[in-house]
Amino acid sequence: MSWLLALPAALFLFVFFVLPLLDNGMRSLVGGDGQLTLTRYSALLTDSFYLRVTAETILLSAGVTAICIVIGYPVAYVLVRKSGRWAGLIIFLLIAPLLTSIIMRTFGWQVLFARRGLVNNLLLDQLGLIEAPLRLTNSPGIAIAALVHVLVPYMVLSIATVLQSVDRRLEESAKILGAGRLRAFREITLPLSLDGIGTGAILVFMIANGSFVTLVLLGGGLQTLPLLIYQQFNTTRDFGMASAMSTLLLVVALSCLFLQLRLVRRRGA
Amino acid sequence: MTKLDRRRFIGGATALAAGLGGMPHLARAQAKSITVTAFGGVWEEAVRKCFVAPFEAKTKAKANVSLGGPPQWLAQVEASPKKPPVDVLIMTPDLALTAAKAGLVDDFTVEKLPNLAKIPKELTDSVMGKGTLFDYGVGGITFNKNRVKNPPKSFAEFVDRVAKGEFVASVPSISYAVTPIMLIWAMAKAFGGGTENVDPFFKAMEKMKKNLVFWAGPNDFFNHLSSGEAELGIYFDGRTWNHFDSGATWIDFINPLEGGSLNGVAVQKPVNADPLAWDYINEVLDAKNQTLFAEIMNYGVTNTDVVYSDKLKPRITPWQQTQFPPYEEIAKVRNDWVNRWNREIGR
Repeated sequence: MSWLLALPAALFLFVFFVLPLLDNGMRSLVGGDGQLTLTRYSALLTDSFYLRVTAETILLSAGVTAICIVIGYPVAYVLVRKSGRWAGLIIFLLIAPLLTSIIMRTFGWQVLFARRGLVNNLLLDQLGLIEAPLRLTNSPGIAIAALVHVLVPYMVLSIATVLQSVDRRLEESAKILGAGRLRAFREITLPLSLDGIGTGAILVFMIANGSFVTLVLLGGGLQTLPLLIYQQFNTTRDFGMASAMSTLLLVVALSCLFLQLRLVRRRGA
Repeated sequence: MTKLDRRRFIGGATALAAGLGGMPHLARAQAKSITVTAFGGVWEEAVRKCFVAPFEAKTKAKANVSLGGPPQWLAQVEASPKKPPVDVLIMTPDLALTAAKAGLVDDFTVEKLPNLAKIPKELTDSVMGKGTLFDYGVGGITFNKNRVKNPPKSFAEFVDRVAKGEFVASVPSISYAVTPIMLIWAMAKAFGGGTENVDPFFKAMEKMKKNLVFWAGPNDFFNHLSSGEAELGIYFDGRTWNHFDSGATWIDFINPLEGGSLNGVAVQKPVNADPLAWDYINEVLDAKNQTLFAEIMNYGVTNTDVVYSDKLKPRITPWQQTQFPPYEEIAKVRNDWVNRWNREIGR
C-alpha cells in the first residue's frame, strides 16, 4: 500500500505537468485550419536561422556549464578540505547572489559595466588606460558572466556534497604507494567526485537552457529558443510555433541530460 | 467566565451559518464584482484612483484589478470565451483588432456608454467600433540632457548622428510588443516607406547597428539612460515625463519632426463579460476621470471635454499631430517584419 503515499504527488504531476505537456505537443501539431501538420517542426529542423538559434541555445548552456565546473570545482574543494571554521561564511557568500532578485542582479551588471559605468570610469578617467569607453554590456560575454554568477553556487554545492563523502584514506593510501598529490587527485579524488560534477552539470545546464530574464536584459545579440518562444507569445501571437519551439527545447534538454548521465556513469564506473 | 467548549462552539457556528443563509440578498450584494485589467506600477495606481474608485462609489459593486499585459488577457479570453476571466480588457490596438475580428468583444454604442459620444469617432473606428482608444502615448526621441546638449530633432537626424557614432541609442527590441508600430512602421514612414515597404527602416538600422543597444521593457530603457549605457533612444512621451516627475530631471523628450507614432490603449468588453463592465468602461471614458488619469500618467486622453493643466499642456501632443498607424494593415504584415528583424538584426 506504500504506493498510495506517492499518489498525491503523481496526481499533481499528471495534472500540472503531463497534461499541459501533451496539450502543448498537440498545439504544435495542429495548423490554423485545424488539420495535423508538421510544417512547424520542418521549419525548425531545416531552416538555417532556427538551426542556428538551437545551436546557440545548446552552446550557451554547455559553455556556462563548463565555466561553472572550472570555477566551481576548486571552490568546492577548498570549501570541503581547507575552509575549516570559514565554511559557513563561504557557503553564505556562495548563496548570497541567490538571495537578491534577478532583476536587481542584472541591473547591477549594467551599472558596473555600462559605457559610463564604474569599470569604464575607472579605466578611462581614473587610470587613463583606455581612450574611449569599452562596450562591455549588451554583449554575449556579459550575459555568460551573469549566468555563471547566478549558477555557480549550484555547481559548488553539488560537488561539495559528494567531495565530503569521499574517503580521504583512499587518497592517503595512493600517496603512501607513491602517487604525487596531482596524481592522487586525478586518479582518486576526481573520479570519485564525478557524481557531484554530473549533478551540478545537469542542474546548471537545465537552468541555463531555459534562462530568459538575464538574456533579455543583457543578451547583446544572443538568440536562444526561450527568447524566441517569448517573442511568439508576446509579439507575433503564433502559439503553435511557440509550442513547437518549446517541445524542441524540451527534447534538446532531455537529450543533453541523457548524454550527461551516460558520460558520468561511464567515467565513474 | 464563559467556557468555550466544543459543543458551544459547534452550536454557535451552526447558528451563524444559519443566520448568513437567511440573508442571501446581502451576501449577493457583497459578492457583486467584476474583474478589470491594468498594467503594473503607476498604471495600476492610476486605474484604481481614476476609474475603480468612482465605479465602486456609483455602483456599490467591487472592481478587482488583474495585473498583466494584453497578450495574456487576450489569450485568457480566447481560452474561455463563454466565461471570460476578465470583464474589461485594456489592449494595444493591434490586439484589440484581433479580438474584434474574432468576435470576442462587444460593439461600443452611445446607448451602452453615454460618454462614448465625447470620444472622437476615428478612435472608435480604428478598432472596428468594438472598443475605443481612451489614452495614448507618442513614440519619439527621449534623451539625457546632461549628455546630449543638442538633441536630434527628427528621425533622419537621429539615424545620421547615431550612425556616425556621436551617440549610442537605445531602441526597443523585437520582444517588446509595440516595436513593430513605434519603431519599424514609424521609422519606415519617416524615410518614405510604410506598411508595404519597410526597407528604409532596415537600411537605417544597418547604418546604426554598431551604436545601438536594445531595451526589452520600458524600465530597461530608463536603466540604459541612467547607467550611461546609452545617451538617447526611442521611447514614449508619458513615461519620459513620469521619470522626470520622479526626480530624473536630466531626462527630456522630443516629438520628431516627421511625427512620432500614436500608441493608443484601447478598452474593450468581452462578449460574455458581466454587464456591469459597461458602467466601469463609462467611467474610463468620463472627462473628469480621464483628466485625473492624464495628470497622473502624463499621457494624452481622448475625451474631447478634457482640459489639461498648465503643467501637462506642453507635454501632451494632440493625437491629430501624431502619425496614426494603420493598425489593421500592420497586423497583416507584422509577423513578416518580426521574421525579417530576427534574421537581419537578431535582437
